[in-house]
Amino acid sequence: MSEPNSWAVEARGLGKKYRRGWALEDCSFRLPAGHICALVGPNGAGKSTFLGTATRLVQPTTGSLKLFGVPVGDPAVLERFAFLAQDKPLYPRFTVAEILRLGRELNPRWDQALAERIVRSGNVPFTARIGTLSGGQRTRVAFALAFGKRPELLLLDEPMSDLDPLARHELSGLLMAEAAEHGTTVLMSSHMLSEMEDMCDYLVVLAEGRLRMAGQTEELVPAHMLVTGVAGGDSGVPDELLRQHTVVESRVTGRQFSALIRPGGPLSDSWEALVPSMEEVLLAYLRSPEAPVLITDEARIDSDATKEAAA
Amino acid sequence: MSRNSTAGRAGTTTAAADSAPAPAGTPAPRRALLRGLPWVVWRRHRTLLRIGLLVTLASCALFAYQRIGVLDFLHGKGSAPGGDGRLLDEFQSSFTPMFNRDLQFMESLPLLVGVFLGAPLIAGEREHNTIRLVTTQSVSRGRWIAVALGLPLAVAAVCTALLSAAFTWLWSPAHDLVGGGDWLQSGAFDSTGPVPVAKTLFLAACGIALGLLAKRVVPAMAATAVFGFAFSVVWSERVRERLGTLRSLSYPYDGDGPHLPPGSVRIDDWVSTADGRLYGYGTCVNGDTAACRAKLGIVNRVTQYFDYGQMPGMQWLGAGILLALTAAVLALVVWRTHRRPL
Repeated sequence: MSEPNSWAVEARGLGKKYRRGWALEDCSFRLPAGHICALVGPNGAGKSTFLGTATRLVQPTTGSLKLFGVPVGDPAVLERFAFLAQDKPLYPRFTVAEILRLGRELNPRWDQALAERIVRSGNVPFTARIGTLSGGQRTRVAFALAFGKRPELLLLDEPMSDLDPLARHELSGLLMAEAAEHGTTVLMSSHMLSEMEDMCDYLVVLAEGRLRMAGQTEELVPAHMLVTGVAGGDSGVPDELLRQHTVVESRVTGRQFSALIRPGGPLSDSWEALVPSMEEVLLAYLRSPEAPVLITDEARIDSDATKEAAA
Repeated sequence: MSRNSTAGRAGTTTAAADSAPAPAGTPAPRRALLRGLPWVVWRRHRTLLRIGLLVTLASCALFAYQRIGVLDFLHGKGSAPGGDGRLLDEFQSSFTPMFNRDLQFMESLPLLVGVFLGAPLIAGEREHNTIRLVTTQSVSRGRWIAVALGLPLAVAAVCTALLSAAFTWLWSPAHDLVGGGDWLQSGAFDSTGPVPVAKTLFLAACGIALGLLAKRVVPAMAATAVFGFAFSVVWSERVRERLGTLRSLSYPYDGDGPHLPPGSVRIDDWVSTADGRLYGYGTCVNGDTAACRAKLGIVNRVTQYFDYGQMPGMQWLGAGILLALTAAVLALVVWRTHRRPL
């Protein structure tokens, strides 16, 4: 994994400060190519800001961001990614065929057959104007434009949020199939946690502009445990847990104590342990901003590398 | 024509799709002139640009037709207004409404272009977020802004240049008669030569800049309209008369005059002493006027005017100033879209 192109996204100390404060602060992680990655976080967590810096729509205040080894400041990066903004902007007076022509005229690697196939499989007429299409059809055309560009990285901002369940199901299927067929890396922001669980194998969690968790779901979720037992200690958190393990979130109900922990060693038998779902892990992290950050080795950009990049 | 070609192409794509996989990246067989980014920009403003071209062609044809009537009149009756003003009366009764309409049209053109083409140019992209669509394709933002501004402005410049040339062609044979020969205030100054082009480009650039700041189409158009009115007041009240040096003609206080050269525009009248010191025209008109004049030494009347020969020089100077301002505004727009997140 030392070849530079194997990293679809490399963020080092990335930050963006607006007048109101930091929207994204000191964000460092990397995403290996070929994954379907969910960018999760509550509203205002910095997801759109991050996608903005990746798509050259927002200029980062600090740090650097590379897509497939190409810094986002270099216009050459434009060919590498495709971006689908939340409101799927398309010129409303263009016909579907003209939107595809726009893609063909503006992108050297354009794949007309692929784009047409995506449009046709949704029975969207080529002569229809964009303004007359339904939300699902518009999203499909936007997908066709994005995939027709033949990107190595597909960046999606809340792609399914304004769709009805049927269209959502249909388009997630399309997304997964096309991404798998072309080996496209996908990074999509969402706050629909249950849906992410089915689609994504990589997670990047942001809260209040900071990175909270990054890594493969297979590694992140099993690193946690839901434990229940008898409450104790001053704060209600039993000392035994604090000593050996990392407590992400805990709750005391009467004499019962329950917590989501990252076990740091074997757990004593006095605890009843369960394997949490991805949604439970995410919610625990989003609810407790104090919880320690968890970045797997694969997703981590070590501080030496950060210094090197800064020098 | 483009609609036909689009429909035709879409038809062939679907037809081809039924029989065989559609060929990837086939270039459009027609309109080979417009490819890449220029095609996108043209398609986006197609309706407006087509209307502009059609109006231009129709108006040029109309001006040419009107010129036939004007020349007929001038050949029959002469083009220089006589002393008794009968020719002027006759000309005005038959051609004044026509010329007034033409002049109004020519004078309103820059504002119309500024409001309907300039203001929505970037404001529309921002309002509908399509700026995120075009700037995330494989074309750099610098190229996009260059074509997005350059193509519509070039079309606007060509159209106004054609209109101005046609109108100048219609107006110049009768320039002594239109508006009583007053080429400065009658609107002819702003409707002929390089001035319409420069004014149009300037207001379009200002509309683009206001649209960039306003981010919404309707407020941008309103701001451009207000700015356009303010500009036209400043232009006609403050700027236009300073583009040339006034010429003066002195004649005896009680004498006959002034005998201005044909085609000149009278701007101001004064009274003056023998050594050329000027007093307001209203000096010594009340009470003992003769004694008052004797005391001040007023012996002459002075008329200040612009000669017809000064008109082109003043027009080119005014146009040059406007084009320099246009370039500055456009540079600001390009710099801002480059630097600031959109």
